[in-house]
Amino acid sequence: MTGRFGGWSLGAGLVAAVAATLLWLRVALRAAPARHARRATWATLAAAAAACAALEWALLRHDFGVRYVADNGGRHVPPYFTVTSLWAALDGSLLLWLLILAGYAALLARSTRRRTTTLHPWALTVVCTVCVFFFALTYFAANPFRSVHPAPADGPGPNPLLQEHPAMGVHPPLLYAGYAGMVVPFAYALAALLAGETGPAWLAATRRWTLLAWSLLTAGIVLGAWWSYAVLGWGGYWAWDPVENASLLPWLTATAALHATLAGRRRNPLTGWVVALSCATFLLVLVGTFLTRSGAVASVHSFTQSPLGPMLLGFVLLVAAVVGGLLIWRSGRSAPARPPGPPLARQAALLGNAVLLVLLAAIVLTGTIFPLASEALGGARAAVGPGYFNRAAVPVALVALVLMGVAPLIRPGGDRPAELGRRLVVPAAAGLATVAAVGLLTRPGLPALAAFGLAAFVLAATARAAAPGRAGPGTRIPVRATVRRLGGLLSHAGIAVAATGIAASSAYTASAERQLSVGQAVTVRGVTARLVGIDRAPAGRGMAVIARLALERGGATIGTARPQLRYYATRDTVVSLPAIRSRPRGDIYATVTQVASDGRTATVRLAVNPLVGLVWAGGAGTALGGLLALRRRRSTPAAAPTAVTAGEPVGAGRP
Amino acid sequence: MKLRRILALAGLAALLAAAGLATWRSTHDSGAATVEQVAASLRCPACDGETVAQSRSPVAAAMREVIANQLAAGRSPDQVRTWFAQRYGEEVLADPSGRGMGSLLWIVPGLALLAGVALSVRTLRHRPGGGPPRTPAPPSASASSVRTRRAWDLAAVGVLAMVAAVAVAGARAGGVGSDDGDSPAAGTPAASTPDDALGRQIDLAKALEQQGEYGAAVEIYRAAAAADPDPRLRLRLAFALLRAGRPGEAAGIARQVLADQPADADGLLVLGLAERATRSPAASGTLRRFLRLAPDHPAAADVRRLLSQQPTAGSGPGG
Amino acid sequence: MTRRSRLLWSALAAAGLAAAAFPLAAGLRGDSPRPAASAGAAPVTEVRDDAAPPLVGVTLAGGRFDLSAWRGHTVVVNVWASWCAPCRQELPQLVAAVGQVAGQGVRLVGLDVRDNDQDARNLLAAVGASGLTVVPDPRGTTAVSWGVSGVPETFVVDGTGRIRAHAQGAVTADWVRQQIDRVATP
Repeated sequence: MTGRFGGWSLGAGLVAAVAATLLWLRVALRAAPARHARRATWATLAAAAAACAALEWALLRHDFGVRYVADNGGRHVPPYFTVTSLWAALDGSLLLWLLILAGYAALLARSTRRRTTTLHPWALTVVCTVCVFFFALTYFAANPFRSVHPAPADGPGPNPLLQEHPAMGVHPPLLYAGYAGMVVPFAYALAALLAGETGPAWLAATRRWTLLAWSLLTAGIVLGAWWSYAVLGWGGYWAWDPVENASLLPWLTATAALHATLAGRRRNPLTGWVVALSCATFLLVLVGTFLTRSGAVASVHSFTQSPLGPMLLGFVLLVAAVVGGLLIWRSGRSAPARPPGPPLARQAALLGNAVLLVLLAAIVLTGTIFPLASEALGGARAAVGPGYFNRAAVPVALVALVLMGVAPLIRPGGDRPAELGRRLVVPAAAGLATVAAVGLLTRPGLPALAAFGLAAFVLAATARAAAPGRAGPGTRIPVRATVRRLGGLLSHAGIAVAATGIAASSAYTASAERQLSVGQAVTVRGVTARLVGIDRAPAGRGMAVIARLALERGGATIGTARPQLRYYATRDTVVSLPAIRSRPRGDIYATVTQVASDGRTATVRLAVNPLVGLVWAGGAGTALGGLLALRRRRSTPAAAPTAVTAGEPVGAGRP
Repeated sequence: MKLRRILALAGLAALLAAAGLATWRSTHDSGAATVEQVAASLRCPACDGETVAQSRSPVAAAMREVIANQLAAGRSPDQVRTWFAQRYGEEVLADPSGRGMGSLLWIVPGLALLAGVALSVRTLRHRPGGGPPRTPAPPSASASSVRTRRAWDLAAVGVLAMVAAVAVAGARAGGVGSDDGDSPAAGTPAASTPDDALGRQIDLAKALEQQGEYGAAVEIYRAAAAADPDPRLRLRLAFALLRAGRPGEAAGIARQVLADQPADADGLLVLGLAERATRSPAASGTLRRFLRLAPDHPAAADVRRLLSQQPTAGSGPGG
Repeated sequence: MTRRSRLLWSALAAAGLAAAAFPLAAGLRGDSPRPAASAGAAPVTEVRDDAAPPLVGVTLAGGRFDLSAWRGHTVVVNVWASWCAPCRQELPQLVAAVGQVAGQGVRLVGLDVRDNDQDARNLLAAVGASGLTVVPDPRGTTAVSWGVSGVPETFVVDGTGRIRAHAQGAVTADWVRQQIDRVATP
């Protein structure tokens, strides 16, 4: 019964999405009243919510007649993980995706009450078209509500790796919210191309929606990195895995698009860049969805092989063709005229940022697709490991750090080199001092050393940029330190802090792996882990083998670590759970890889990861800065108090 | 304030010198390569896209030990990588060489950079002209309404065509796992090869048996037997059931195995012991057939002893 | 933009789109990156001709073993472990198959990977192969030097010390006979 209700909701959602698309198109083309279209949009959201609720109900009630529950549910799974198993596998995660897409459509539709523009209904048409495709995809090709005869008595539960950490409940929704949110700036870009106009309202709307999706995506990516660190057991947080890259690619181009919107509020010379980058961002979202869900690339994170591949690829090509066609058709209309400014104007800095980020995206995309290309052309599937990405992307990222420090200090109208140089003296000194101090005391290697110095440079420059105008001509930056600007600066600071954490944890991490009998110890950087005992305990439908380690530093006991090997009988997998001891100065990370069957020896890996907490802190700061920057420019007395979260995007930003 | 300026410049120069020295120090002695670094440059041959550093499989652990031994013996990371490539083929290297196909990895981003720079220069040098963006002149009423109606019709057809295309493609491809009974406990295991996993299951179940947790062992054997219809596994399940005090079920399974393989000594042993536990009169006959079939079986001596005693209920000898 | 340049850009864009789509589409059609050899399926066999790495150690029975001492004999090297279920089924078949051709000077040695001795002895007893020469490799380093990526794997080494066949996955008695015939005929 639940299954049938869910299937009907999906079908209803498909119909509602088609209706919404066509109704919004009528509004756009013939200026029809928008209320029917808005109702259809709300109906789409209601249908998506009903489908999600139906699947959750089936999961919680252990209705194994529904195929998705038969494949991913289990009576032995704790309730929290039963709820989160909605997005543990492909079909259910598509439902979450649909819910978020429909949510964005409804949110966008709501804002039409504030201010009607000609672009708004076009944007909604585009968003609803995307909804139509994904509803159709889910309903016809990956329907979780198909029934199973005979209904089994129990199920295997979700993938064990997804049952070990509470982040499972936060990371996917957050990541999807950011990922799918990129449809709105894309819709606005297409609207601009279709309607043939841009303007301050368009720019403000694009900026706000991009900022919202970008902040959520940043938070999602950082949370995902933290979760892999805490669960996967190899001690790293970023493996340049294809699925991880798929989430990073749109983030890079969205950052570029975001900066391009800063080039001017009334007349933006980089409008073409904003449009192109917004389109590229959503295309990368679709390519990433394709890579993750089609099984084309091998990854520990990817879903299993599915028949969705060809359809997703078809949609990617369709959207790319539409975008390309529109860009070429509309390229005759010129961007707003503007006399070329002085070379050190912010425009040049923003363009430099865009070029660097696009280059980074090209590097990551090439490395991710290279195994497919090499197999197609040469027959052998060549793998691309972290070595290529680190060697190619790190230098580009370091140059971007330089720009990140310098750019906020440039006056919008342009600067003479000498004035800019004077502003940069103190940050440069801070950077050099850091390089000198760190490099003379330790040997982190050239990239890490450069990262430390540049991070210090950026932090000092950002602090300088945040301080409002100081006394004395030539040193004052005449930009009001509004919350928005501080949000942006906080994001820059967050990136610098994260860069420090990344550099420190990659340069100074040390690890050792040894087979220990009870009583023996392994030592890394002064930290010793002594195997005290091996316990076995039944855990759910399987067993956990726990190695008890006593941690010592300098002879004094600092704690106990209990890494585990957990066996899940229903899924037939062993999961290695690390024991992490987090302190501000770094983490002590212990895993057990193998336990002998006589229970007397265990292979233990001990790692010391210094300053890795800075990565999470920096990432959180970046996301928070983005949310702060959503704040309205000036609250007019008649308007309602503005909220920091994005509820009202359009019509804001009155110049 | 010239003095201040000179002092500032001098300070900067000093810092520059110190930073230069620090940089030279870092590049000059990059330190010995670690096992992790070399392992991160090799792919685990039995895993899905993981490097040897990341993978938790036994093969990867063995490869890490080999790397550690070779680095300790003084070989360079490149020598270690070559050694692995000779034994596992070039595909074990995680990074393709810069030659041949690998050059694409550098050419494509290079082209992207050139395109980006060219476009930026064009944007920066954009000549004024053309004025503000031209909005389309409001067309005449009748022509526009015909055109918009046609556009709307076209768009409606397009959207419906897209839905139809997905429906057709989905019906063809997504025919898997529709309403007929798919294998219900399908769950694809993520990480282990079938060999290791099943062996580990048996290992775990044996450990549980040793600890006396027969009930849990039964569950595991049952799951394993469902996945792999190996008669040996089913007999282990039957034996665990016997020791868990469920001789009736044990006898049922042993009979199934014997139906396929009538001359299976272990099957006869388990059946005989189960019948004995349920005080079935057929027990001694079955046990005698077992003895005739496999007189040298490790459990034969105990069975002979059992048969010579008074038949009592109780679980069979531990074995 | 003139009409001609517009057409040119359209053609360029179409070409670019096709170039980008080609590897993605090919990735869909390609096999999964690692063909899984399940028990019962034929093993993935590779015909080779290269020098066998050394295989030296102390056997389970306590004696010293060196593969080079068996020069002149065809040797079947079987890599297994007690925690590997297909190995348990494969071992008796191997022992039987090699026993049949022992007269031709064929010998069998087992390499027990990342295992402990007691479990190995238990398995050998259970399958009735206690007489098998087995060299334990508790750290797995010898197996890695032979290029082993999983268990079970089998190598056939000819009398001159060269590997002539390498199978990944469980092998059958027929496979053993085929390979030995192939190796024996010069």
